[in-house]
Amino acid sequence: MTQKELNDQRLVREAQQAVLRMHSRRHFIKESAMGLGALALGSFLGSCGRRDSSSMTNITFDPAHPLLPKLPPFPGKAKSVIYLHMAGAPSQLELFDYKPELMKMDGQDCPPSLLEGKRFAFIRGVPKMLGPQAKFSQRGQSGAWISDNMPHLATIADELCFLKAVTTDQFNHAPAQLMVHTGSPRLGRPSLGSWVTYGLGTENQNLPGFVVLTSGGRTPDAGKSVWGSGFLPSVYQGVQCRSEGDPVLFMKDPDGMSRDLRKASIDAINEVNSQEYTTYNDPEILSRISQYEMAYKMQISAPEVMNINDEPEYIHQMYGTKPGQACFANNVLLARRLVEKGVRFVQLFDWGWDSHGSDENLAIDVGFINKCRQSDKCITALILDLKQRGLLDETLVVWGGEFGRTPMQENREGKKMPFKGRDHHTEAFTMWMAGAGIKKGYSYGETDEIGYSTISGKVEPFDIQATILNQLGFDHEKFTYHFQGRPFRLTDTRGKVIEDILA
Amino acid sequence: MLASITEFVAHFHPSLVHLPIGFLLAGLLLQWLSRKEKYKSLQQAATIVLLGGAITATLSAITGYLLSISDDYDKKLVGWHQWMGISTTVVAWMLYAWQKKPRRYINKNVIAVILLALIIITGHLGGSLTHGSDYLTRPLRSSGSDSSSNAGIKPVPDVQEAVAYNDIVKPIFETRCYSCHGPNKQKGRLRMDDEQALMKGGKDGKVIEPGNADKSEMIRRLMLPVDNEDHMPPREKPQPTEGQIALLHWWINNGADFSKKVKELQQPAQIKPVLLALQQAPETKKDFTAVPATPVEKADTAIIEKLKAKGIVVLPVAQNSNYLSANFVTHTSIGNEELPLLLSLKKQLIWLKMSYTNLDDSHATAIGELKNLTRLSLDHTNITDAGINSLKTLSNLQYLNLVATKITAQGILQLKGLEKLQSMFLYQTPVKKEEWAALKAAFPKTQIDSGGYLVETLPTDTVQVKAKKY
Repeated sequence: MTQKELNDQRLVREAQQAVLRMHSRRHFIKESAMGLGALALGSFLGSCGRRDSSSMTNITFDPAHPLLPKLPPFPGKAKSVIYLHMAGAPSQLELFDYKPELMKMDGQDCPPSLLEGKRFAFIRGVPKMLGPQAKFSQRGQSGAWISDNMPHLATIADELCFLKAVTTDQFNHAPAQLMVHTGSPRLGRPSLGSWVTYGLGTENQNLPGFVVLTSGGRTPDAGKSVWGSGFLPSVYQGVQCRSEGDPVLFMKDPDGMSRDLRKASIDAINEVNSQEYTTYNDPEILSRISQYEMAYKMQISAPEVMNINDEPEYIHQMYGTKPGQACFANNVLLARRLVEKGVRFVQLFDWGWDSHGSDENLAIDVGFINKCRQSDKCITALILDLKQRGLLDETLVVWGGEFGRTPMQENREGKKMPFKGRDHHTEAFTMWMAGAGIKKGYSYGETDEIGYSTISGKVEPFDIQATILNQLGFDHEKFTYHFQGRPFRLTDTRGKVIEDILA
Repeated sequence: MLASITEFVAHFHPSLVHLPIGFLLAGLLLQWLSRKEKYKSLQQAATIVLLGGAITATLSAITGYLLSISDDYDKKLVGWHQWMGISTTVVAWMLYAWQKKPRRYINKNVIAVILLALIIITGHLGGSLTHGSDYLTRPLRSSGSDSSSNAGIKPVPDVQEAVAYNDIVKPIFETRCYSCHGPNKQKGRLRMDDEQALMKGGKDGKVIEPGNADKSEMIRRLMLPVDNEDHMPPREKPQPTEGQIALLHWWINNGADFSKKVKELQQPAQIKPVLLALQQAPETKKDFTAVPATPVEKADTAIIEKLKAKGIVVLPVAQNSNYLSANFVTHTSIGNEELPLLLSLKKQLIWLKMSYTNLDDSHATAIGELKNLTRLSLDHTNITDAGINSLKTLSNLQYLNLVATKITAQGILQLKGLEKLQSMFLYQTPVKKEEWAALKAAFPKTQIDSGGYLVETLPTDTVQVKAKKY
């Protein structure tokens, strides 16, 4: 055999191997007759006992244009959501849940009734009670209690709606964050923002529908899964943008590459991808094509919207931004700009609220106060700025952590801590919402006299998710995605819209 | 133990009953067919099938009787169902006997027709028991009945003069409890629409301890977490509000009296606001995203497609609605075609957002013709007082955004006639400080947002707290 024949043989073999490698489990099942029968039986069985499809929200997924705006089942009050997550869990007892009775117990041993049968992340043995470490007053006409730690927010108390009795069942950061954002403490479920962009698409086709901005020096403990798309098509995952430098990493053309060349190369890649699609019919390929196209458009539109330098000086002062740095205030201002430009869901994470008292930055009377100071002014500015632009009507703002903090002082390993701090607490904490058809100047729910557990108006993350979806025009019980043979929903089997807080 | 076995057996009734229905109907069919020469051979099959029917009918009757004594259904309805069921069984046996050995003194066809009628009546009564007596005809009646959960409670004109039970407690029971503990069903053998039955309680005893709400089973069940199995009403049913629970608690603590007026009962401080709230109708909700109640015909899809091709987002406001919203989000330079296209959607178009476009006064006339608009955003455009005059005709307008335009107070005053306008945004307009008062007076029903809010920098905003050692 000549060398050429040998080469040709090798090429043919390689080609065959390549085809075999592409021959996935799916293709195997598809091509085998038994498999077809089994699939038919599977779908037949699957249809047994399923609710008829007319009662489900009908969402069509167009893989070639996955982000085109879609209509909600009923007219929603909210067009966009800004979710401010204070990662680490801020202390409700130093911000919104005023407990003078707890002050009287300050320094005393925790009564055994509060410890029996309970587990805490770090507290062991008998901890001491810790009174409120802040001064409180009633604010605005609504008389909401807000501490001196948030002097600016106190001025807009009448715009906010407090949920004073939020509970969760996860006492570690990562599962609790997943719970709040994906409705499950375990990995693998789509996040709130993914559900929303899947259901509603986004108005501005030159920008992502779901933008994530992080600050505080760390991403949330649960990692990027808190803005992941889970089993939804991957195009619905959050796009993390940065408030300094390039807004989206690796999006700028390298030096020497012209925009025309970039266009030509993206066209070539898309051409290859569409050939792949005709062979394999995998909708993810179409999503990939549309993502390349969006990335190309974003090369222009993203730096434009992410450049806060063209805001007037008084806006910078209002938000207390630090141009050129990565900080929460910049992200908050960006959130407003993104929503104004038609981005559907803006998710902010600010890390550093985990006030255990284990070091200075995590002390309830040091680091915590600094975190308050960094976020108080800009959040207040955000609400007022949205309001004056006529956007608060159609933008839902949500503030909260993943759980609350104990009325007891933390005693890690049963020892005294170097600073004042509180442990993770799941039974009662505060969140607030504003805008988009939520009552103004209202407080819902109350906790007992030391803020340990709820007395009335108890809500769980599912209820908050149900309410957010409701404001966007969805019935959370009907908004499902079919996966692995059954419909899934964000709120799983739970969740009730908090009707009492709807204006 | 014996009782629970009986109950277990009884619970087979709902599935067993389908067997005699099927068997007997099949038997009747076979019997009817066998009259013809061609199907003569079916005669024997009919006998066997009818035997099957008679046996399963007997089993159904036994389990049905057990169910009627162990569970809690409307006695009258159960009685009818029971006797009809027993009759069905007897007649089924009769027909079988005739089939085995025909008798002359009675016509087989008469028995067959009676049996058919009995099956239908018994089946219907059984269905009424499980699904409610209105189940069958519900789809034929108006669909608005599911709103009864909240709408049933009317405001009380003068709460102090009201009779506590009749005017406050009973409406709560009516909307939240009667569907399972009322005239049709008495689950747990509790009937609440009758005063004596209510005080007697259910199969686990009394549910109300007059004067001691905290010891009352009813309050305990209401207060349990929703996912607790004993919680009432069950999780999937409409839940009472906290105020309603507080009212029940208060009524029981006051002796659970059926005739006293509110003013004759003690009123602790906590209950006063709840009572007072009963006087007001539930506040009518301000609906910013209002969609007109009258339906509209579908818009021309070709026009929508033309607008979409330009990058304008045109969408119905919701699924099953023909009303449209349009947003010029990335299409910021308006040419000659856009507004004529919008005009042909003028019946359907209710929300229009043209923020940050090059819109100017020349486009305003066309916008003035979009009479169904409820929300209009013209912020960051070149519209001026000259153009605003054309908006006078938008009598349905509820939301108007004119942020960052050249509109002055004089211009805005031209819109005085817009009765439905709820909110107007005038941030970054040349309106002068001293003119706000006049504007607000001219638009008494409208919230005018002047914007320009400041968040002053406090000394603490920029200072970091330092650690103290403990």
